[in-house]
Amino acid sequence: MTTATTNTTEFLRLESITKTFGGVRALRGVSVTIRSGEIYHLLGENGSGKSTLIKIISGAQPPDGGTIIVRGQSYQKLGALESLKVGIETVYQDLSLFPNLSVAENIAFNAQLVQNNGRLARVLDWKALREVAGSALRRVGLEPTKDFLETTIEQLPIAVRQLVAIARGIATKATLVIMDEPTAALTQKEVENLINIVSTLRKEGVSVLFVSHKLDEVFRIGGNVIVIRDGQKVADGNLKDYTKEDIAFLMTGKRLENHRYRNAEPQQEMLLEVQNLSQRDEFEDVSFKLRKGEILGITGLLDSGRNELALALSGVNPARGTIRLEGKTVEIKNPRDAISLGIAYVPEDRLTEGLFLKKPIRENIVVAILNRLSKGNQLDDAKITTVAETSVKDLQISTPNVMLPAQALSGGNQQRVMVARWLATNPKVLILHGPTMGVDVGSKDALYKIVQSLAEKGLGVIIISDDLPELLQNCDSILVMKKGWVAKTFVADTLAESELAKELLAA
Amino acid sequence: MALTTRAPEPTPSRSWWQVVSRRPEFITLALIILLSILIAVINPAFLSVGSLFDILRATARMGIFALGVLLVLAAGGIDVSFTAIGAFAFYTTTIFLLGVAPDAPFALPLLIACGIGVLLGLLNGFVVDRFKAPSLIVTIATQYLIRGFLLAFVGTKHIMDIPASMKGFGTWNLVQFRNANNALVSLPMTVAVLAVVAIITWWILNRTVMGRAIYAVGGSVPIAERLGISVRGVYLFVFGYAGLLAGLGGLLHASSNRQANPFDLVGTELDVIAAVVLGGARVTGGTGTVQGTILGVILIVLIQNNLVMMGVPSTWQKVVIGVIILVASGVFSRRKTS
Repeated sequence: MTTATTNTTEFLRLESITKTFGGVRALRGVSVTIRSGEIYHLLGENGSGKSTLIKIISGAQPPDGGTIIVRGQSYQKLGALESLKVGIETVYQDLSLFPNLSVAENIAFNAQLVQNNGRLARVLDWKALREVAGSALRRVGLEPTKDFLETTIEQLPIAVRQLVAIARGIATKATLVIMDEPTAALTQKEVENLINIVSTLRKEGVSVLFVSHKLDEVFRIGGNVIVIRDGQKVADGNLKDYTKEDIAFLMTGKRLENHRYRNAEPQQEMLLEVQNLSQRDEFEDVSFKLRKGEILGITGLLDSGRNELALALSGVNPARGTIRLEGKTVEIKNPRDAISLGIAYVPEDRLTEGLFLKKPIRENIVVAILNRLSKGNQLDDAKITTVAETSVKDLQISTPNVMLPAQALSGGNQQRVMVARWLATNPKVLILHGPTMGVDVGSKDALYKIVQSLAEKGLGVIIISDDLPELLQNCDSILVMKKGWVAKTFVADTLAESELAKELLAA
Repeated sequence: MALTTRAPEPTPSRSWWQVVSRRPEFITLALIILLSILIAVINPAFLSVGSLFDILRATARMGIFALGVLLVLAAGGIDVSFTAIGAFAFYTTTIFLLGVAPDAPFALPLLIACGIGVLLGLLNGFVVDRFKAPSLIVTIATQYLIRGFLLAFVGTKHIMDIPASMKGFGTWNLVQFRNANNALVSLPMTVAVLAVVAIITWWILNRTVMGRAIYAVGGSVPIAERLGISVRGVYLFVFGYAGLLAGLGGLLHASSNRQANPFDLVGTELDVIAAVVLGGARVTGGTGTVQGTILGVILIVLIQNNLVMMGVPSTWQKVVIGVIILVASGVFSRRKTS
């Protein structure tokens, strides 16, 4: 394995790290070296052990065996505070922001805590806190007005929260910044900004460790790559020496093909017609048509109104306009209307908007159709299990049984549970919002296969996503939204990604 | 380098909501003003120094307990044992003082009562942290335990003759004069104690690392742990502080009443918690201010003391408090914009 030939110094070295969770060996002797001022991408499928590795570096969990060496000093384990003290900052996938605290506090409170060695009986320096927060915000491209600094996180949209989380990661002079899927909620433009930030950090001698599923982004950023599969390191070297296909192969252990799995064309029969759909301040005069068996992609920047459009169609936030389903004009005033009409909506954030994490997979699958599964006034337990087991088989959800809690599943399988729930309602239209956010390549592929075979059977599918390759691989036509309007509609078949990206970013 | 500049701009049409969402205590203040006007219209006698002093006196008594509860709520917990701690502290202190040093200066009972309060509060904090138990259940249990222990082992006798130093503090007034009707009007020292406690509590919450850590833990325990905040330290501190204020509040209660009844206080904890919630603290944790809490206490006191003057039967007070909490919780819950 070649490594980038640099004379930079080693900052962090993990030696033969092992970790076992209840009999499952999450890490089986992983060794990794992080040098100062370099960029690393930690890649692996969901469940490969990369999250565990991150947790061990950031001090959230102790390893069972192995050594952590920071600047030449050995540790058995790092505590959360210790990890911060040696200069390791983490931008967590779930952002880990306090919803009730202000932007300024979220960014800069920790710096003072670390400075005080974790002691709480200290006077807080508000002036320093605001200054640190202000300069960090500027670096991620947000203007630190007094009003913004005092806004609490719960009042902010998810993309701004993501930027605030990144600002916290770079607020102090960290030596290593770990970014766990930092672009999940960001649009192309903001991703470009993040890439700029990373290159500045690098020049300042800071190392950045990315965890991402978006291979396109990984290659755009460049640097070193560490691939983990089944708790073991399977590759470690410079990205230049690998192709995208190599990496996908290393991650999954199998060759994936980036093509459509569908043979049939959409049917001619019209399924859903949306005319002049408007919502005040969000989107205006949106019209489109969806035929049976068609997959329609909707994309746009965060202020484009695509998210709001999704919520309007699903009945969460109803909008004005005409919606015709199979030729009949219908009204969607709440999610129940949408469900009974046969419009199923799989939300973007499956953790907070969709899954009951602590409940069994079975309950998660049947929750939307409980009224159909009763015997007299009682629920038919046997029938429920049968329905759930059929879904699990149909969607290839890998689980020993349907009674496991949903949180025991990997991201890709969780996503499939969500899809299973809505397919159980026998929908005519399936709306998938960011269907593969935080899902690895292998699971993505499996989901695409499922969605396309459903379309072949006549289901109309709408995919709302900013993953352009995903749209191109699955959709028949793609709608680009801008500032609440439909800017352009493409036929996906002949479209190049560059053309779509250009339209998306053009002002 | 900044490609995007997108600090959210406040939309003018929603601005009053933003004020309310950031400063829920404005609603409490508005309710207080509204209620005062109503009372004054129906009963003009309400507008007097005497009734102002009455409100302040009652506010001081309840407010000291409420500020302790505020810290626990802000950290995401709840404490229903503080009244039992208060009763245990003042009664045990009185018995001890009468038996050992009946002539000791007020500093001694103050020290003992506060010390007992801190220890019992720390017990709450320890159990909540160590066993990751819900604080509601833990403090219901400790309320029974502490009260049971007090009545079973310390005593059940109603003591009418408390030590002189306590009596002295109870009758010590900041201001005292006779009004036009030749009735004695006085503002007790406890009001000054509340002021000091309020300032200290405000300082802790807003000016120390601990203060912000309390809100952080109230916001999310797992995130706090990830960021190296000592959750145990926060729990021990807030429950210990609530215990300290319960001990202090209990001692002032007995001193002001000039008697020590071990059956006192317990049963009033919901009034205090209601006051803190009316002051804008969410029961789910992570919010609440000293100003809001004091206003919440004033609102409850106004209802308790003055509805009778308006001709509302005392049995209806609970109904009014219930309605106001329902309305306020409806308004406050709309705060969540996300």
